[in-house]
Amino acid sequence: MIDLIKKNSLEFFNANGLPSKKLENWKFTSSKNFKSFNKSSSSIKNQKIESDELSIVFVNGVLDKNSLKNFKFSDLLEVKNLDELNDKELLRCSENFLKESMFNLGISEFENGSYLSFKRNSVIEEVINIKNYFFENGNNERVSSFNIFHINEGSEISIIEEDIKENHSIFNLKLNKFICENSTVFKYGKSFNDHSQTYSLSYNYYQIKKDVVLSVDSIITSSFFNKEFIEVDLNNSGSDAKINILNLGKDEQHIDNNILINHKAEHCTSFQHVRNVLDNKSTAVFNGKVIVAEGAQQTDSNQSNKNLLLSLESNAFSNPQLEIYADDVSCGHGSTTGALDENSIFYLRARGIDYSSAQKILIKAFAKEVIDDFSLSSLQDISEIALDSWING
Amino acid sequence: MIKIKNLEASIDDKTILKGIDMEIPAGEVHVIMGRNGSGKSTLANVIAGNEAYEVDGGSISMNDTDITEMSIENRALEGIFLCFQYPVAIPGVGMAYFLRSALNAHRKHQGKDEMDALEFLNNAKAILSELGLDDSFLKRSINDGFSGGEKKKSEILQLLTINPKLAVLDETDSGLDVDALRTVAKGVNKFKNENNSVLIITHYQRLLNYIKPDVVHLMIDGKIVESGDMSLVEKVEKDGYSWLEK
Repeated sequence: MIDLIKKNSLEFFNANGLPSKKLENWKFTSSKNFKSFNKSSSSIKNQKIESDELSIVFVNGVLDKNSLKNFKFSDLLEVKNLDELNDKELLRCSENFLKESMFNLGISEFENGSYLSFKRNSVIEEVINIKNYFFENGNNERVSSFNIFHINEGSEISIIEEDIKENHSIFNLKLNKFICENSTVFKYGKSFNDHSQTYSLSYNYYQIKKDVVLSVDSIITSSFFNKEFIEVDLNNSGSDAKINILNLGKDEQHIDNNILINHKAEHCTSFQHVRNVLDNKSTAVFNGKVIVAEGAQQTDSNQSNKNLLLSLESNAFSNPQLEIYADDVSCGHGSTTGALDENSIFYLRARGIDYSSAQKILIKAFAKEVIDDFSLSSLQDISEIALDSWING
Repeated sequence: MIKIKNLEASIDDKTILKGIDMEIPAGEVHVIMGRNGSGKSTLANVIAGNEAYEVDGGSISMNDTDITEMSIENRALEGIFLCFQYPVAIPGVGMAYFLRSALNAHRKHQGKDEMDALEFLNNAKAILSELGLDDSFLKRSINDGFSGGEKKKSEILQLLTINPKLAVLDETDSGLDVDALRTVAKGVNKFKNENNSVLIITHYQRLLNYIKPDVVHLMIDGKIVESGDMSLVEKVEKDGYSWLEK
């Protein structure tokens, strides 16, 4: 089944090529440098990686099964190669992603994808660390990966994902699917603090069933190019999806969030909160959309994008959208872009706090409001350190 | 304490202050009254160093140090404290962190050690109690979601924590009910002593029922046109300002 999907995807990519700026999600993001990357050779160096009992390790996007030997909760985990899956529904991808040529390229290229399924009623209080190691086979490689995480009924799972790279130039094309069955709690966090010249393009698809609590927390600092697509399908009633993203950009970094939340059932809530702090010539893009389908009554949705520009040469492009086809809903969205408030700086300085410290206090306050909303307290701690380091760096 | 000589200032090329002369010695409370637009708040902002205003002439000195060209924060460290008419809300910055940062900036400037968190907390709680505020006030963000009265009490909390040399109260009494007004006045009376000074900018007599001024100045069109004692306040309450216009 996978072979057929890969074949169709390759045909799609060959027919459509690299995304152009005519596409809404790529209007402010150039794909021209993607051409300089070639598909990674399948042979990965035999890297020996130490892993602890709370970590699951991926090497160049492929699950390192050795890491599962140390994994404390391996008895709660069922692992298969994606080639072994014959269930169409498990493999089903977002229809919107299937219209994306880069997603299709990733599907056509990935090798040895994994299906990681947490068994029913797996309640794990500790945070599981997903460590993605990237090793060089040659420079300017494109590493494509596709993995599926299945959180089965009654489970509570928390994951923090981290990329660990050597300082070389790669194109990381990462596709993930997360399936949250009925009555699950899934907390997913991401902390990328990447000083390499890596291009990161990721597609994360969340398929949400009934009475699910999903949180997605993310902090990205110092990422050269990071474009992320997040799609959440709220397929059944009573679920709650909360997305909090903080991006800190400097130099000529480009950070790009494309979020689509599909309210397909009644009594669901969703919350998107994306903040960008941009210095120097950095750029951020926010394309956020909430679609409330007919019949998705009692939907409660809020979408907010705030951008703080610290230099005249930084840019933020914000495009929040709402499409509502139900009549008994509460939906709000908003976007602001601006510099630090001079009145606030004056107020702090009038109390004896110097200009530079006043600026830092205000930047931290702006960013910390997102961090405070993170569901994962350990990611809050990591993020505060990363934020301080970014501000004072 | 503070000496203002022939001060002229403008904003957006519009001249507001047209030659202010004033001196407030240590231990005195002065009041400036005047109509809206007469330049009272401009004077308060120019004393605090608000960079939105341009000083076109004259000088301001504190204890014989010329501060006319001094930065906002350095003026604050020299002892000038502006109680804002409209204190800004700064979500995400906790009152405790802010107060301690401000206090320690002053202590550092005075060559003192930073105050540790426990000592700071005990001092702050004692002031809060006097102002009738709950300790949880310190956990809130600066002026965020505060009522009008809470914002003014927050200013007085800052005043008593930092303990500057000159407090400039820019219409601190506006928008306050009688209870909040009494609390603010109590705070100012607690602050004032023979070593510091207070400049109150107001439209009304009611705050002055609680804080007794030594000198009252009346301001019209960017100039101080009359100075005297408390009887001037009573005359303004009765007759307004038209008798001052030629």
